[in-house]
Amino acid sequence: MQTPTVVLKNIRKWFGSLQAVAGVSFEVHPGEIFGLLGPNGAGKTTTIRIMLDIFRPDEGEVRVFGGPMTEAKKGRVGYLPEERGLYRDQKLETVLVYLARLKGLSADEARASVHAWLERLDLFEHRHKKIQDLSRGMQQKAQLIATLAHDPDLIVVDEPFSGLDPVNTRLVKRIIEEQRQAGKTIIMSTHQMHQVEAMCNRIVLINHGRVVLYGDVEEIKRRHSAHAIEIEGRGDFHDLPGVLETRRQDGVWHLSLAAETDPQTVWRALAGRDDVKIERFELAEPSLEDIFVATVQQMEA
Amino acid sequence: MRTLLLIAQSEYLDRIRRRSFLLATGGVALILILVGVFGLWASGSRVSGAVGYVDRAGLLKPDALAQAAEGLEFRSYDDEAAALADLEAGRIQALYFIAADYLLSGRMTLLYWDKKPSNRIQAAFTEALRASLLADAPPSVRRRLLDGFHVVMRASEGEREASEEDILNFILPFVVGGFFTFVVMMASGYLLQAVTTEKENRMVEVLFTSVSAFQFIGGKALGLIAVAFTQLGVWLAILAALVFVFLRFTDFLAGVRPSWDFFALLLLYFIPTYALLSAIMIILGSVMADLQQSQQIAGMVNLLFVLPFFFTVLLFTDPNSPILVALTLFPTTAFITVAMRWGVTDIPAWQLVAAWFSVSGAALLGIYLAARVFRAGMLHYGRNVSFARLLKAGR
Repeated sequence: MQTPTVVLKNIRKWFGSLQAVAGVSFEVHPGEIFGLLGPNGAGKTTTIRIMLDIFRPDEGEVRVFGGPMTEAKKGRVGYLPEERGLYRDQKLETVLVYLARLKGLSADEARASVHAWLERLDLFEHRHKKIQDLSRGMQQKAQLIATLAHDPDLIVVDEPFSGLDPVNTRLVKRIIEEQRQAGKTIIMSTHQMHQVEAMCNRIVLINHGRVVLYGDVEEIKRRHSAHAIEIEGRGDFHDLPGVLETRRQDGVWHLSLAAETDPQTVWRALAGRDDVKIERFELAEPSLEDIFVATVQQMEA
Repeated sequence: MRTLLLIAQSEYLDRIRRRSFLLATGGVALILILVGVFGLWASGSRVSGAVGYVDRAGLLKPDALAQAAEGLEFRSYDDEAAALADLEAGRIQALYFIAADYLLSGRMTLLYWDKKPSNRIQAAFTEALRASLLADAPPSVRRRLLDGFHVVMRASEGEREASEEDILNFILPFVVGGFFTFVVMMASGYLLQAVTTEKENRMVEVLFTSVSAFQFIGGKALGLIAVAFTQLGVWLAILAALVFVFLRFTDFLAGVRPSWDFFALLLLYFIPTYALLSAIMIILGSVMADLQQSQQIAGMVNLLFVLPFFFTVLLFTDPNSPILVALTLFPTTAFITVAMRWGVTDIPAWQLVAAWFSVSGAALLGIYLAARVFRAGMLHYGRNVSFARLLKAGR
């Protein structure tokens, strides 16, 4: 196996009395898209900031490209933060060339790369406009160019699809996939579970600063397949014992079970009730969203 | 170093292309030019034109006139009518008549059209006439009479003395010190703006994955001091041109002698003072949520630096008073107090050394704190950093 691009070992970080990160560990390898997931306030952004040396951890070890983060290594990192921002009163091309040069590119290299990306993302004609005169979607694409223009080996994207229409979402997905195929390491943090499911090879789920799920996406789904049920029938299937979440979609009831709950237990509970009629009862492969919700709710419970 | 210079260059170019910069620089330059032109006009100078004279007493000696008239043209007339005709035709700007009984009456007439000849022309002509009258006197007597009185004002404790001609040298350190303080405040004000804008633009997170806090802050500070010096350079160039014109055509600045040790001293204090104020501005910019709040506090901070101006009267009455000594030794006021006192007293060497260490020490501490607070505060988008967090960052 290749040397991991990023290794986090037992990272801890406190802000005053609040422990934002409580012993997070994971590895990310070249050529994979790694999902960093968690509910709001779980500690994802703090983890990313620690990984990128914006914050220093109180405890634990961070290794990027085989060692601690250095100024030279920063040129190999591309980061699209959740809190987007560019110099609003400067021209698009000027800002992008400047940011690419800060990553170590010469002026000519930076300009050539930025032009290529601007053309690819349909922004070339807007290159002389001020950032503040661009639409939100255009600004979002400009930020993506700032992340990729210097051809980084490690790409960290936080909510890369926010503010994008379906056409541009598809374009950005394609670009991320291309980067993965080129052997780049991609860490993606998003709440859009269907995107994670479609794109990520592996994930880590963080809640309250702790890792609660970590591993291969397919393996995690297999592990949780006994914990989801699909039911078709009449009646109300809420408030069943050992069920964490019940939702109805397209006439089908989806039930997420707690880890210790057996589907047989649910079946027996339903069999004893006269107010429901079951037409179909089936073990379901849970979606990543189901797993996310079930895991988080179980922790909260 | 490349990154630091790149940030400095970007900051510099961005700032000097702004309309506000062009307006401020051009506006002050225009005011300076207008004041200069008005000054020249008010001093009655004529930038060109010969001056005629009719010496009915036959006193004026050509060599005395040539010596006094350096750069000026005096034209002698035997015929009064011809002289008056030239004056009417504008071929000469003024005409002196030395009365035939001048030795008895001291009568001399000056004719001109609309503008009185400059002080320099009048002084040169008078000097030439005096030199001619004293041509036969012994050299030492002639020199004494031509030089006139030389009054020296000396304080009773034997400190710095000032003469009438020296009054500009007396005032100059005060003015130059004020000017440098203005530059320091301008540059650090730009820095406050830059840091706050960076926070408002939410660029810090991206930048911190490219550069270190030192490169970021150092680059900005370097670029902005270059902006301040560019602005100052434009104004000084105009001032220098005006001084040249004044020296050429008036005797207003003739007694000024540049004090190079004073300029060296200013430079020595300028660097740590700029670093100290910049550090304070970085802390403010990092801690406060937006530019408006930052500027309100910055106004109060600036007061700490210009406090000595409130003691100007004391400066002239008692330049070594304990208050002024205390202000000399206090980090924020050392620079301007030293500059102000320089012209009026001999500042003891120990005070100069102690003041420099005071401001330099405070600057180092300020930079250390600024770097820590900057890291902690810059990611608090849209909100102020609490005092407790500030203290924690400082520890």
